[in-house]
Amino acid sequence: MRVVIVEDDVLLREGLTLLLGNAGIEVVAAVDNTTEFLAAIAGMRPDAVVTDVRLPPTFTDEGLRAAVEARRVHPGLPVLVLSAYVENSYAAELLADGVGGVGYLLKERVGKVERFVDALTRVAEGGTAMDPEVISQLLVRRKPDDPLATLTAREREVLALMAEGHNNATIADTLVVSEGAVLKHIRNIFTKLSLPNDEGGHRRVLAVLAYLNA
Amino acid sequence: MTRLAPVWTAARYLLVGAGTALLSLLALTGIFLVAGLSLISIGLPAVPEALRLVRRLVDVERGRAGAFLGTPIPAAYRLPDGPVLTQVRTVLTDPATRRDLVWLLVHGPVGLLLGTLAVALPISAVNHLFIPVYWWLVPGGVQTSLGFVVDSWSTAPLAVAIGVFYGLLWLQLPRFARWQARFAQRMLSPAEGVSLVDRVAELTASRAGALEAHGAELRRIERDLHDGAQARIAAVVMQLGIADQMRARDPEAAFDLVRKAQDTAIDALAELRDVVRSIYPPVLSDRGLDGAVSALAARCPVPCTLEVAPIGRRPAAIEAAAYFIVAEALTNITKHSAAEHASVRLEATDDKLFITVRDDGRGGADGNLGTGIVGIQRRADAFDGHAELSSPLGGPTVLRVELPCGS
Repeated sequence: MRVVIVEDDVLLREGLTLLLGNAGIEVVAAVDNTTEFLAAIAGMRPDAVVTDVRLPPTFTDEGLRAAVEARRVHPGLPVLVLSAYVENSYAAELLADGVGGVGYLLKERVGKVERFVDALTRVAEGGTAMDPEVISQLLVRRKPDDPLATLTAREREVLALMAEGHNNATIADTLVVSEGAVLKHIRNIFTKLSLPNDEGGHRRVLAVLAYLNA
Repeated sequence: MTRLAPVWTAARYLLVGAGTALLSLLALTGIFLVAGLSLISIGLPAVPEALRLVRRLVDVERGRAGAFLGTPIPAAYRLPDGPVLTQVRTVLTDPATRRDLVWLLVHGPVGLLLGTLAVALPISAVNHLFIPVYWWLVPGGVQTSLGFVVDSWSTAPLAVAIGVFYGLLWLQLPRFARWQARFAQRMLSPAEGVSLVDRVAELTASRAGALEAHGAELRRIERDLHDGAQARIAAVVMQLGIADQMRARDPEAAFDLVRKAQDTAIDALAELRDVVRSIYPPVLSDRGLDGAVSALAARCPVPCTLEVAPIGRRPAAIEAAAYFIVAEALTNITKHSAAEHASVRLEATDDKLFITVRDDGRGGADGNLGTGIVGIQRRADAFDGHAELSSPLGGPTVLRVELPCGS
């Protein structure tokens, strides 16, 4: 896999390059601003990009805007956004085009290397990787009569993991249950939330995220 | 017709003025009654209440005259509080009370007169202009309003002259209306110096409140950092130190400790994020107040419409306060209102920020009970702002907050 990184903090940039390199992922460019970033994407045609949110010159949300812009120019370009904090409206903006291939994670998730590489791979394959904190923010602050309230505790766990972008096998592993049981939970969740259950894979995740974001 | 438009406006103004004049006379009667009863002291408890009613009437006039003149008329009353006798003293020694009473005394008769003129002048003018046409039909002639009787062609032109005079007088109604409004403006504005004195007292109180709130906030941040992130990072350093000690003897256990240290560091980051968010939400710095509030509205489970006038950047503390006020209001709506719909409105002038949060829920929100509302009040107070909640049973609930923000 070939990846472009944009991160203005030199320690983090070099750390990321090293960490991804160790995991067998080729970092074709590691830059510290969005201009070079957009140029690198056009020039290198990477399989995925990893970007920070706050970047020079204004240190607000340049990285996010650059990611959205990059996906406008190169539709479906897998983008993994890393940030010191998560803000669900940013997740909604990234997901807005409904194409998938989007990741939005807290920076410290990088530390759990295996899981981070797994998330990046998922994103590069057109899947999603939402930070658990995004999902938990989406799950609270709901109305008292929200259909989500009818979910059992286990179903909520499955829903959260599904919304983060995990496949059934990973969900089953994480919760230490069989894949069949996960399938059953998912069927129940879709019925309770009145979501059509005819879509598989990433489209299913996008449907769930759209539901939670609404 | 356009030249007559101000006359119509003035006539309407004076007519309503007659209404308030009637109420003024009524109020005066009431006051005399209460004053009489107060002499034998049983009327005393009614004094603050009576004057509160007067203030309400006077407020109507303030609004009316202010709208007519195009400049709002400020009010500055001492607010009666505490035991009845203290309240009585407060309202009676308030110079604004004296000015209100003078206004009632003058406006009562004069307002009634002007209101009558506004209606009678045009009718009478038309009548007098037509007297030459019909006087000969009336046996014994027609009585004019100046007393003489038109019963011959030689007196008829006099009637026309009176009609013209009334008509001209009628065209002067805007002037009368302006007099009435200016008199209200003069008497009902705070006396010179009073508003400043009150303002200084208010500001001193709110400044003390702001300092207190600021101090409490600093202590909270210190405690959060000390008990949270700081303690955890200390633990990380210690865990890594122990791992270093153990690495030769028991590499496996040392690795375990390194992993544990990583988890602890992750927890520390989570706590730091919470503290940062409670001080100044990062989204504010990224997107400004309008962007941050849009994000709040979008995230609100109750469908929420947003009206945001261009606000630009304001002092960070004000932006944070406004953000938390909207956030708390929306949380209250989500939790308690059972509303189908909410709306948030943000407007700003050069030196003020206005927040209106409204919902169509069940109402009955009580400022004395709800902690969220107390929090909003406290945040507004800290900046010499003002929060007002209206929530009748059955809704709608409307929260209005005003934050001064000299920019």
